[in-house]
Amino acid sequence: MRNIKARDIIFIVLIILAVVVLALPTLLGSLGPLPPTNIRSIAINYLNATYNQLNPGLWTSSPEAVAAIVWDYRGLDTLFETAVFYSAIIAALVLYRDILGEKDVLKGRGLSIVVQRATAISMVGILVVGAATILHGQLTPGGGFQGGAIAAVAPVIAIVVFSRFLIDRSRLSYKHLLLVRNIALACIALIPLVPIISLAIGYSQVFIFQNQVKAVSNFTFPQIIIDVPMGGTIWFFNLFEGLAVVSAFSLAVIVIFYSEDMSRKAIEGEDIGF
Amino acid sequence: MGSELHIAMYITVIISLYINIAVCIYGIISKPNLVKKLISLTILQDSINVFLILIGYRLWRPGIILQPPILLDWSPTSEALKQFLERAVDPLPQALVLTAIVIGLAVNIFLATTILHVYRHFKTVDMDEIGMLKRVVIVEETA
Repeated sequence: MRNIKARDIIFIVLIILAVVVLALPTLLGSLGPLPPTNIRSIAINYLNATYNQLNPGLWTSSPEAVAAIVWDYRGLDTLFETAVFYSAIIAALVLYRDILGEKDVLKGRGLSIVVQRATAISMVGILVVGAATILHGQLTPGGGFQGGAIAAVAPVIAIVVFSRFLIDRSRLSYKHLLLVRNIALACIALIPLVPIISLAIGYSQVFIFQNQVKAVSNFTFPQIIIDVPMGGTIWFFNLFEGLAVVSAFSLAVIVIFYSEDMSRKAIEGEDIGF
Repeated sequence: MGSELHIAMYITVIISLYINIAVCIYGIISKPNLVKKLISLTILQDSINVFLILIGYRLWRPGIILQPPILLDWSPTSEALKQFLERAVDPLPQALVLTAIVIGLAVNIFLATTILHVYRHFKTVDMDEIGMLKRVVIVEETA
């Protein structure tokens, strides 16, 4: 008992120490004047170039600075972050590799008809909000990641309310979701290479990940869709990222929601070699 | 008076986030229950994300017209862009946090499935008990 008390005291002292070590430099001005009254010069450069038609060598045709940074100025970073994201999902799926895509043994009936109808109506709303967030990512706060995460709520409540039985009967199967996810990922990988393909139709000099015209290159993605700015590659990236996020999260949720009898199959034989 | 209150509130929020971060690290280290560790980790992620967003915050200076930082025209003049720069906050921390949230969510899903897996394998999520069980298994195998 005395041992535990000493351990608690050490932890409390360490917590206080950690807070003081973090707070002292902050109070002494390591983060600059608090709260900041001006933004950093790098942020000024990004904000100034994002939708500056007077400087066509640097603009992205996307009025949303965050989307422009994520998918154009720092596009390569986001490509690799996408790779990290899918690796994590694949790692979660691989744990259940023995039962992936199989039908569940339990035949659930779901919740009552009132809940099912109300959910069916609200699910349309969720999917529409998700799609709007994805497709307007270059104009308003939002984009592929956020829209995909919003739309991924729909499969979660679908499984809870309509039961797993519906998933097994419907076309929202493991195979189809995997197909959507793989096509979306392939498109995300191909879009940066589109400028290279365009070399075949007469462009003389292009760059990988090129969005709009550069000083030495005439190649450009479309700038306007009907009558609003499109952001060139940003719109396509948002679309495919949204599709990939929603299908990846659906896959993970479908695996997590397997019944207990089914999930136990996944660990059979592990006691002789974990 | 107004600006002093602003500064005091801002620093209080930042230090409360530091306390949050320290308590979460304590939770991750000291709690033997894997689910509690996961909860601490998610709160830690969110605290750091809020902290990063707060770094990009900008105090409203008197003399600027109270308007959101948006462009009202599809072909803005350099004057409109200058006004936009006066009002906009830092977009870089937001771009960083945006991807951090989604990757954090994916990693959380992986951790949740791993914890489920561990629970089905050992019938417990307590790290101390799992350690004891594994010790028993090792002793049986070597005997």
